Amino acid sequence: MSRANAHPAHALAPAGSWRLALGPARSGRSILLDKRACAANLLLAVALLAACVASLCLGEVSIAPRAAIAGLFGYGDGMDVFVVQQLRATRLLAGVLSGGAFALAGCLMQTLARNRLATPGIIGLDNGATAFAVASVLGVGLGIAPPAMALVGASVATAIAFGLAGGIGTQGYRFLVAGIGVGAAFDAITRLMLARSAIDAANAAYPWTVGSLNGVGALALNMLAVGLVIGLIGAAALARALGVVRFSEGVAQGLGIRVGHIRLGALVLSVGLTALAVAVAGPVGLIALIGPEVARHLSSRRGVPLMGSTLAGALLMVVADLAGRVLFSPIEIPVGLISTVVGAPVLLWILLRPGHKIGV
Amino acid sequence: MSERPRIATDTRERRVGLWFGLLCGVTLIVCTASLLFGAGAIGPAQSLDTLLRALTGRMTDDNAWFAIESLRAPRTAIGVLVGAALAVAGALLQAVTRNPLAEPGLLGVSGGATFAVAIAIALGADAATLRVPVAQFGALAGCLAVLAASRVRGAGEDPVRLVLAGAVLSGLLYALTSLVLLFDERTADEIRFWVVGSFAGRRPADVIALLPGLGVAGLMVIGIARPLAALALGEHVASGLGHRPRLVRLLVVVAVALLVGSATAIAGPIAFIGLVAPFVARALAGPDVRATLWLCLPIGAALTLGADVVSRLVVRPSELPLGVLTALIGAPVLVAVVRSRRLPTL
Amino acid sequence: MTVPFDAPPLSLTSPLQAEKLCVTYGRRPVLSGLDIAFPRDQVTAIVGPNGCGKSTLLSALARLHTPQAGRIALEGRDIRSYGARELARALALLPQSVTAPEGLTAAELIRFGRQPHQSWLRQWSAEDGAVVDAALAAADLQALAHRPLEAMSGGQRQRAWIAMAIAQQTPVLLLDEPTTALDLGHAIEVFELVRDLAAEGKTVVMVLHDLGNACRYADHLVAMRDGCVVAAGPPSEIVSRELVRELYGVDCTLVTDTDTGAPLLANVRRAR
Repeated sequence: MSRANAHPAHALAPAGSWRLALGPARSGRSILLDKRACAANLLLAVALLAACVASLCLGEVSIAPRAAIAGLFGYGDGMDVFVVQQLRATRLLAGVLSGGAFALAGCLMQTLARNRLATPGIIGLDNGATAFAVASVLGVGLGIAPPAMALVGASVATAIAFGLAGGIGTQGYRFLVAGIGVGAAFDAITRLMLARSAIDAANAAYPWTVGSLNGVGALALNMLAVGLVIGLIGAAALARALGVVRFSEGVAQGLGIRVGHIRLGALVLSVGLTALAVAVAGPVGLIALIGPEVARHLSSRRGVPLMGSTLAGALLMVVADLAGRVLFSPIEIPVGLISTVVGAPVLLWILLRPGHKIGV
Repeated sequence: MSERPRIATDTRERRVGLWFGLLCGVTLIVCTASLLFGAGAIGPAQSLDTLLRALTGRMTDDNAWFAIESLRAPRTAIGVLVGAALAVAGALLQAVTRNPLAEPGLLGVSGGATFAVAIAIALGADAATLRVPVAQFGALAGCLAVLAASRVRGAGEDPVRLVLAGAVLSGLLYALTSLVLLFDERTADEIRFWVVGSFAGRRPADVIALLPGLGVAGLMVIGIARPLAALALGEHVASGLGHRPRLVRLLVVVAVALLVGSATAIAGPIAFIGLVAPFVARALAGPDVRATLWLCLPIGAALTLGADVVSRLVVRPSELPLGVLTALIGAPVLVAVVRSRRLPTL
Repeated sequence: MTVPFDAPPLSLTSPLQAEKLCVTYGRRPVLSGLDIAFPRDQVTAIVGPNGCGKSTLLSALARLHTPQAGRIALEGRDIRSYGARELARALALLPQSVTAPEGLTAAELIRFGRQPHQSWLRQWSAEDGAVVDAALAAADLQALAHRPLEAMSGGQRQRAWIAMAIAQQTPVLLLDEPTTALDLGHAIEVFELVRDLAAEGKTVVMVLHDLGNACRYADHLVAMRDGCVVAAGPPSEIVSRELVRELYGVDCTLVTDTDTGAPLLANVRRAR
């Protein structure tokens, strides 16, 4: 203590952080904010805002930024208001929410598995959610709403993938390939159902399978919004413990973290977020890989970049959707294709670069 | 070598021969089933009757004969050839990468062939004449990518990591193919049904288009089977035995490209056959590469054609894409291979 | 050769003890009915041949394994009655192979040692800063505080990990083979740090591979074989030719280090 009194300024906050006191100094109540993570989040948020404005402005009809923002709030030219509010705003919201949810889910799963490749899409969650959601759209089985069925599907796929791999462990690549198998099987089931159903029902279910933000349902969007808020709160609650879960298991337990509980909590959040996002955007799984990767490069290594991943995922999704709409207009490229074309090289680079590390 | 190993080899050879005969019988049965069953109106009884009449030289019902001769017969032949080709290609690729999970469909070889065909058609090539060589070229590129990845330090020793990289490459190539389809409606119309993998609507000309590639590849496989068996013991051992590993590897890559390119050009990308058939063959034949290759022929043919027959019957009157069934069979095998405690390195 | 762990006021002399401890992996028993007590404020070294259960014992003491039978008492209280964070404030463990997130600096690593003393609404206090500084000083790492772990030598990195355990401010510290993969110089750095810790009033228990270093740096030696304690006591009292032969199946000549009084193994050879 004498040391602390001798250098109070130094002791107040460790290097690279701001300390936010939440009461009298004696109570010790405080929150630490990582300077670099804050800067990264600010940067990502600004970029996301810019991308959102661009997304509202650009399209088959271009609208000036000022008019677009005015139109969003119902002012200005009637046509602009219609295009912005009715056509672009919902789609933008779907992109922001689903991208954020995918990437947050990815970051959670990577952290709990201590493996940068362990994202929900790679272990077959997306395909499981899609299969069940398509079943719901086609009326196979129970008449439960697609987002709820997507939740069931994602949970089933997770249970199978982790069950086959022998628990939530760090089984290296092995459980990833088990997940590829699970994903392939669910994908086949989806196609089987589509092949068996009448052609108009199959057309209704088709957007589910390619990954697109076109024609998003209000129910799915509302559920996703609620889910993402819950996910962010849960992630914030787990953030400190997740920072320790990145260490090897003995170390984490030695520091008083209930590793099993934390991992299970993170897994539940991750599965729920992925399922709700799939219900909105379809399987756009690679966002879950690239979003956290971008956030990790920008943020510091001290913490888990949960907020940064969310922002980066939303940014990537909005940009990918915008690119898909604008680049080759009038042809619209589904956001799932764009994210694969951009994300696959990133994934290959992680996998194959010499002296690689897959830890988080 | 003493006497005992030779005796063991003899019994093993006899056992492999027995299995080979048995599996050829199974393939024949599946072929018959393939001629008898179809998605259309002509049922098995009528087909059997027509078939027997035709064999004994009597006049037949024209409709039924047409269905059998020009629809089911080429389809059956294609199923047998494509299945055997994919199975052998899988066994070869697994032997040369020493990785039991190396499967042309999973690793992006079929994806390369598909993408090449899509590009070629989009650029205005004639689908009828150019498809096979273009697909072979694409498969070759895919093969070389796989081989390059397997020789990256670290990735090569870890069988599972290579598969992951291959799956990603494969996904990338299919996404690019979808992009091409999105841009070019003519291409889309020409290959939309081909790109999901199916034997439906193939003509006798397609069977003939398959033959040259498979023939050349077959001769090459006969030539490299022995050095390949030595390569299974490791590169240095193979060199020590007087083989040239680099040459062997190159020949294998060319053979796989010919096999997968031809098969994909005619039937579209079909995954998992190259995983399941060698897996079963190894279980029956043991570790010898040559025995595995022999057994792959009937297993691949029976498996693929059997899946095709089932795909005609499940969703009558329409048909299921073949890839769906092979994935349903193959995914559990993939998981089983991965789960086995020690991945058997080849 | 036994230590007096039946003496009544155990918790006074020993902060950490185990009674009739049984641990099995699957069906294979690793520890079978083991009794042990560790003396307060001293350095204890656990030695024994590979697979004798010494690492398992350490994990069980830190509650990473649940024993099938028997109990472990920390300061006289059953270890199972501790909360997770409470235990982490009473006992620190440094496992044998550890991994940290990429790119962490020494100071950042050591800050994680404060985790058990913090909570969501009490993320950093003046005391935390003082303790981290003190741990850096104890491990002689002030100059390297902001260097990433990957850029450190093996000895420096190991000292950083020990400093993290120090920052936990626990009376008991468990180290599993802290000097494996370190060369002689770096190993000595670590051992001298361990001696300093004991001198400042910490109970240190470490699993060691090397009997020589155990004799040199431990006050108390526990020799294990086949999941049982073969001998326990000060090295100079219990190390004998017979014990060495029993543990490792080798013959040796024992001499006494005239500087430290510790036994030295010389002319080690295969037993005939």
